[in-house]
Amino acid sequence: MTADESELRELRSSVREFLAAKSPEEAVRKLMESEERYDPAVWAQAADQLRLPGLVIPEEYGGDGFGQVELGVVLEEMGRALLCAPFFATVVLAAQALLASGDKEACARHLPGIAAGRTTATLAVAEDDGSWDPALISARAVPDGDGGWRVSGRKSFVIDGTTADLLLVVARTVAGPSLFAVDRETTGLAATSMETLDATRAMARLTLDAVPATLVGADGAGGRVMAKVLDIISVGLAAEQAGGARRCLEMSAEHARTRQQFGRPVGSFQAVKHKCADMLVQVELAEAASREAALLADEGSDEFPVAAAVAHACCSKAYMVAAMENIQVHGGIGFTWEHPAHLYFRRAKSSQLLFGGPAVYHERLLDRLGI
Amino acid sequence: MGLLHEPHDLQDFAAEARRFLDAHAAKAPDRTAFTWGEGDDSMAYFSSLPPEEERAQVQRARAWQRIRYENGFGWITGPPEYGGRGLTPVHDLVYDAVESDYDVADTGVLSVIGLGMIGPTVLAHARPHIKDRWLPALYRGDAIACQLFSEPGAGSDLASVATRAVREGEDWVLNGQKVWTSVAQHSQIGVALTRTNPDAPKHRGITAFLVPMDAPGVDVRPLRQMTGGADFNEVFLTDVRIPDDHRLGEVDGGWSVALTTLMNERATVGSEGAGPVAAALSPDRLSALMRATWTWDDRALRARLAELLVDAMATEHLNTRALRTLRGGGTPGPEMSVSKLMYGQNLTRAAHFVSDVLGPRIIADTGRWGTYAWSELLLATPALRILGGTEEIMKNILAERVLGLPKEPVTAAAKEVRP
Ligand SMILES: Cc1cc2nc3c(=O)[nH]c(=O)nc-3n(C[C@H](O)[C@H](O)[C@H](O)COP(=O)(O)OP(=O)(O)OC[C@H]3O[C@@H](n4cnc5c(N)ncnc54)[C@H](O)[C@@H]3O)c2cc1C
Repeated sequence: MTADESELRELRSSVREFLAAKSPEEAVRKLMESEERYDPAVWAQAADQLRLPGLVIPEEYGGDGFGQVELGVVLEEMGRALLCAPFFATVVLAAQALLASGDKEACARHLPGIAAGRTTATLAVAEDDGSWDPALISARAVPDGDGGWRVSGRKSFVIDGTTADLLLVVARTVAGPSLFAVDRETTGLAATSMETLDATRAMARLTLDAVPATLVGADGAGGRVMAKVLDIISVGLAAEQAGGARRCLEMSAEHARTRQQFGRPVGSFQAVKHKCADMLVQVELAEAASREAALLADEGSDEFPVAAAVAHACCSKAYMVAAMENIQVHGGIGFTWEHPAHLYFRRAKSSQLLFGGPAVYHERLLDRLGI
Repeated sequence: MGLLHEPHDLQDFAAEARRFLDAHAAKAPDRTAFTWGEGDDSMAYFSSLPPEEERAQVQRARAWQRIRYENGFGWITGPPEYGGRGLTPVHDLVYDAVESDYDVADTGVLSVIGLGMIGPTVLAHARPHIKDRWLPALYRGDAIACQLFSEPGAGSDLASVATRAVREGEDWVLNGQKVWTSVAQHSQIGVALTRTNPDAPKHRGITAFLVPMDAPGVDVRPLRQMTGGADFNEVFLTDVRIPDDHRLGEVDGGWSVALTTLMNERATVGSEGAGPVAAALSPDRLSALMRATWTWDDRALRARLAELLVDAMATEHLNTRALRTLRGGGTPGPEMSVSKLMYGQNLTRAAHFVSDVLGPRIIADTGRWGTYAWSELLLATPALRILGGTEEIMKNILAERVLGLPKEPVTAAAKEVRP
């Protein structure tokens, strides 16, 4: 299903309205310091009132079957509002991994719960070095003799890893990296929350000690699945980044218009004006790169992999620039805890590095271009 | 350090410093033999210590400053009549170079603002008996000082301070609010800019005062910064009575007092080199980090590292040259503003370089030594582009005062004098 322009606008405004009511700055600050790190009531409302968790899940699995374009709109808004909720982990990471696996049985088992907002999920790939490259993974899985598997090892930087009901874990078998589904309520699984640079995105460390698991997709197909997933989830992240960058720009422009120094608004100084214009350039590029990539994904275009790599790199840079300069335009007040500028700075840096960082995504782009 | 190969009085002085340090401090571990994974990995520029620990640290700073002072190394450039040693800035530099081989307490809480900025201001502008009272106290580590300049409405535009001082007999009565005041929570004195003549053009209606921080009506409230701790404060002044002899400089002549402080601020902020700051730009540390993350042979990162080190080392040379000029009795030119600008940029670039080397390891704490610890520097860097004059203001100064470029057109509003 594809929404037209006016439907997209409508979607944006209803999500923005919802987030303004449910995820204002006070709520974000309260949640980022709480144990839970998200508000289950808000999560339930996002599912019941707006049907957000099911937005991109195919209709056969109980979702509304929209595409990346629609998802991008929602993610831009969540990025603006710094929503603390398991949306990114569940809908972007886990659901996309299930779909990319091509495992219809696993999809039928897990996606309806996700679509309905009953199940939260996440994807655990990186270990202590933070790499998302399946080739560098050391967690292992062995058959348990009954058709099931046992996974052992450690995972770090697992988004919402202490709360997700379903954990999709990449582990190595004799056949190579493979994807496994692990239930939160299983034995041998321990999750501890990590101290994070970006407090609005909870991360955990998992210890798996011969944890019972179900193979998702083919044994040894994890590398291929991950390559596909990384493209789609980095486009999701890009949308979130573009939304955050846009918010930083708006804050800066507003401050520059109103803050008086030397008897005039600081925005009347060319130094500040150019700073804001530079931010605008970055934000425009970011929105174009992430939205275009989403469109190409929905069209199933051959150009998608290149566009995904461009969106990831472009939006990572744009958000970091916008978040840094936003503090600078605010001066001293931008360096205080009470001002939201640092929350965006933290999110921008953390997102820039989430899937490996510039060295990795630049290389991926060149690789996609055959360079 | 080229400056050590200088006339013999300097060599004698260095030998004397070494004798003093040998007697009072342990040698620092050999910095060239830095080992990854050993020692403290903290990269905190701003402290986020619990209050008791912070107080203990302040006490250690004081104790070390006192030992320095009592042995003739606490105020090397100060005039002897106020307890100084009467030597040159180069002696100061020589001492710093010698001391960097020893493991001594970090005295930043005293030195950056109190000794680096407020001390010289008091020396230049206070009455003799006030100098007698406070200068030895500052340099002996008994008193800590803060800079009560910025206000909610006066940051870059410092001359528009609105805190009022009104004369009442032999006293002045101060009312207003200061903000971003670093170390006010530990300070015994502060230098405040106040408006004494609302009718004069704004630069000419300002008077500076030395404010005892325990005076009734001075209320210091911590302000939490984005790094999590609270190194700076809001300071509320309500009917604070200050005797006229605590005035610095002339009535309505406070702007020239402010300029003394600001000039020294640029010099201190730009040339400050100890602790995590030095570590962040240390070739050893950065190359060890690259080895530990298997990025040692990454060509792009190596090129960036080289660029970073070129800038950092050139900035250091700039500082050295400014000190040479000072030694020759001259006044350094634009070096201090360039140095202040580069200081913020060098550390900002270093922090982002390190985060690219670390990748996701800087976004959450895996417990690995020397990884997540860098997030503290990363979060401090935005401040370094703001405090002591923002990057934009420093560039304006360079363009207008050094290059003689015209100022931005003044609007009608800017001509008005703000009360
Ligand atoms: C960590 C920290 C510690 C500090 N410690 C102290 C202290 O101990 N004592 C003290 O008195 N102050 C202190 N300050 C205050 C500091 O000096 C001011 O924050 C700074 O001068 C900027 O002023 P502002 O915050 O009002 O920003 P503003 O002046 O409002 O600036 C906002 C933006 O406008 C830009 N801008 C303003 N004017 C111009 C212009 N003419 N041309 C171009 N751009 C312009 C600025 O560069 C900035 O980007 C501290 C600040 C920080 C962050």
